[in-house]
Amino acid sequence: MARSGDKNQPEPQDSKLGDISSRLDELSSRLDAEKKIHQKAESPSTNYGKAQDYSEGYRLVSEFVAGILVGAAVGYGLDRLFNTLPLFMIIFLMVGFGAGILNMARAANRVPPAGARLDIPPPADDDEDEGDK
Amino acid sequence: MATETVVNDPIHQFRLHNLFDLFSVGGHQISFTNSAFFMGLIVLFITVFLLMAASKAAMVPGRLQSIGEMWYSMIHNMVNNVLGEEGKVFFPLVFSLFSFVLIANMLGMFPYFFTVTSHVIVTASLALFVVGLVVVVGIYKHGLGWFRLFVPHGVPIVILPIISVIEIISFLSRPISLGLRLFGNILAGHIVLKVFAGFVVSMIAAGGIIAVSSVLSLGMAVALTALEFLVAFLQAFVFAILTCVYLNDALHPSH
Repeated sequence: MARSGDKNQPEPQDSKLGDISSRLDELSSRLDAEKKIHQKAESPSTNYGKAQDYSEGYRLVSEFVAGILVGAAVGYGLDRLFNTLPLFMIIFLMVGFGAGILNMARAANRVPPAGARLDIPPPADDDEDEGDK
Repeated sequence: MATETVVNDPIHQFRLHNLFDLFSVGGHQISFTNSAFFMGLIVLFITVFLLMAASKAAMVPGRLQSIGEMWYSMIHNMVNNVLGEEGKVFFPLVFSLFSFVLIANMLGMFPYFFTVTSHVIVTASLALFVVGLVVVVGIYKHGLGWFRLFVPHGVPIVILPIISVIEIISFLSRPISLGLRLFGNILAGHIVLKVFAGFVVSMIAAGGIIAVSSVLSLGMAVALTALEFLVAFLQAFVFAILTCVYLNDALHPSH
């Protein structure tokens, strides 16, 4: 760093504007790079390397299975209530499958969490019209 | 043969037995079981350990104090990262949950000790408590508008009911996945460990070439023990971080 500074020293005597802006660019790009490194170091609240991957895998599996289990349980409960044994269980198994996929996608950060909806203002009437047409 | 099956019975370690009877509620006998005993032991261990770690409060921390500080600051950072300033209220809760699960798992690694978290009723109660709290905090913060969580925005009205049902089931599956994961990991780990350790005994009893190859089984048991320590920590950590993530849904939805 000191060396490059020495090299640049004589040139600014000519006070070329292009030189200054190129140095500015270089500086800002270096700053960006440093920022990225910092972010990388800070952003994962858990950097336990392999262990983290391992737990992530377990998480994905259990989220998926849990969706199906809850779907099956809800369907079975409704069937018991209305005495229509296989009907709701079949429907809710499929819905539970969907919920499991959604869970997994959320766990993998592919889909924004459901909470993201709360900052959007309550749907106005014109919005529903759009949906209809 | 009969004695061998008792030795190798991998489920035996999870059996509950009453240490003494307390009282009965509505015809149900309430007893002090080995599970309750170990829960008490866990709480006692955490309390004594952290009190001892904090007692000196030296400028340059000793070994004990370092562990205590690491323990504390790890969860503190996690709560700060996930929940932000607002989430500081929940730090004691998350710290207690993490500590309880961690020490329960770790104490369970001692031979002849009972593992509290290997019973689904314990982990499910913890998980249900967390998700119940999410609902209460969400309604407290956002009123009934919190239920918009289940109604996606800008979805055609035709498929909205299906999407809502999927969202509701997705939410309901949280306590299941939270509780089942911890329970499943610990239960499966202990059973596998016991099975491989049991192999060593029965292979040596078989004699001959089989007895020699029992070394393989022993090596597996050793490796699995190391893995189980990792799992014990990880599952406690995952439980704590998911508690934070779920609470985040209720607290600040801007994420």
